[in-house]
Amino acid sequence: MKKKILVIDDDLNVSDYLASLFQDKGYQVSVAGNVKEGIKLAKAQHPDLITLDIEMPGEWGPRFYRQLSQEPDLKNIPVIVISGLSGHQYAVVKAVASLSKPFDREELLKIVDGILN
Amino acid sequence: MFKKILFATSATPASDYAARVAFNMSKEYSAQLNIFHVLGVPSRGFSQVVVDVKTKEKVSVDEEYLFGVTEEIKAYYAKYLDKGLDHTIDVAVGFPAREILRQAKDTQPDLIILGGSTGDEEDSVYKKVSAGSTLQKVAKSAPCPVMAVNRPAASFWGGMSNILFGTDFSKTSDKAFDFAVKLAKAMDCELHVFHALDITGLQSGKLTDQDEIEQKIREALRKIRARYQPRLKELKNYSMDVWEGIPFIEIVKYARDKHADLIVMAHHSKRRPDELDRLGGNVEQVIVRAGCPVLSVNK
Repeated sequence: MKKKILVIDDDLNVSDYLASLFQDKGYQVSVAGNVKEGIKLAKAQHPDLITLDIEMPGEWGPRFYRQLSQEPDLKNIPVIVISGLSGHQYAVVKAVASLSKPFDREELLKIVDGILN
Repeated sequence: MFKKILFATSATPASDYAARVAFNMSKEYSAQLNIFHVLGVPSRGFSQVVVDVKTKEKVSVDEEYLFGVTEEIKAYYAKYLDKGLDHTIDVAVGFPAREILRQAKDTQPDLIILGGSTGDEEDSVYKKVSAGSTLQKVAKSAPCPVMAVNRPAASFWGGMSNILFGTDFSKTSDKAFDFAVKLAKAMDCELHVFHALDITGLQSGKLTDQDEIEQKIREALRKIRARYQPRLKELKNYSMDVWEGIPFIEIVKYARDKHADLIVMAHHSKRRPDELDRLGGNVEQVIVRAGCPVLSVNK
């Protein structure tokens, strides 16, 4: 069964790129453009991994993480922060990794493969 | 709730994280933002020669220099100002704390936002273990609440929904509580009332008996209920907790546990006169360590 990745990013260019990157590696990908949509998809699909942008319209990424961590079924899903904001590595304390935009695709895939396989 | 915000900035990386919060708050609450920068300290008396806060060089203040600094601030914050924010930029010469307080007195903001100390940019043994002297002086005497954003982790603003109010049951804490309730009501936030039982003093010379600690926790919880619960009932969501340990550490831990967006505390009150300003006070330590902005109320 394919491992599922949820990409949360309001920038369509980034989310499309991430989706194609993960799909090429054989993962099943779903995309959310904001926190509300992200929570909805996380509850419906129980992904194996989430990539999370920080600055998004409305609620920001750390708010998503808070809501996620309050759901017993979802709180242990690993989260990778991918953001262009300075200091993003401090945004989600329990994130498994934090990458700056523009990120190195090989580095990201290595982290993802390490977590999911 | 916030109509006028005074953002006091050095326009250096030390203020970047506070800037992120200040600009986001202004946008979110449609507040007028006054960006205020103190150029530097006069080298002597009323001299127009100042030591520039950023470059540490002596410069002569004239209209051209003032214009240049204002343009520099505009350029530094261009990515935020492009978004059509209602803002003004003011610059002044003098000691930063004194000028910020003067500006607050003149413009009557609802909130002052301050960043980390410029001293944090240098190698210093005090780095990250003490709040800057400007912040301490402003927080102590400001006519309105002062929000401090010291760590990068405290800058991930995305609105407010979860407020932690830390109390030591002092009178100033009661004022801070009034403000926290007002804020929680206006912003429809959950409010967590928290007291950290200080067991560091209890332990001097002997290990404190656990029964004694738990008895003190129960007493503190009763005190919280008696003192704050009648007003808390005005809110949809609230909680009350007491943890034991080193107060500022427990407050930071509790805020992390509750995913607080904001910590509200009194500025403060129970400090002994002999305590060093530089390292004293739970609120200063919380400011330095918290993963969210800290709002201090002094009157």
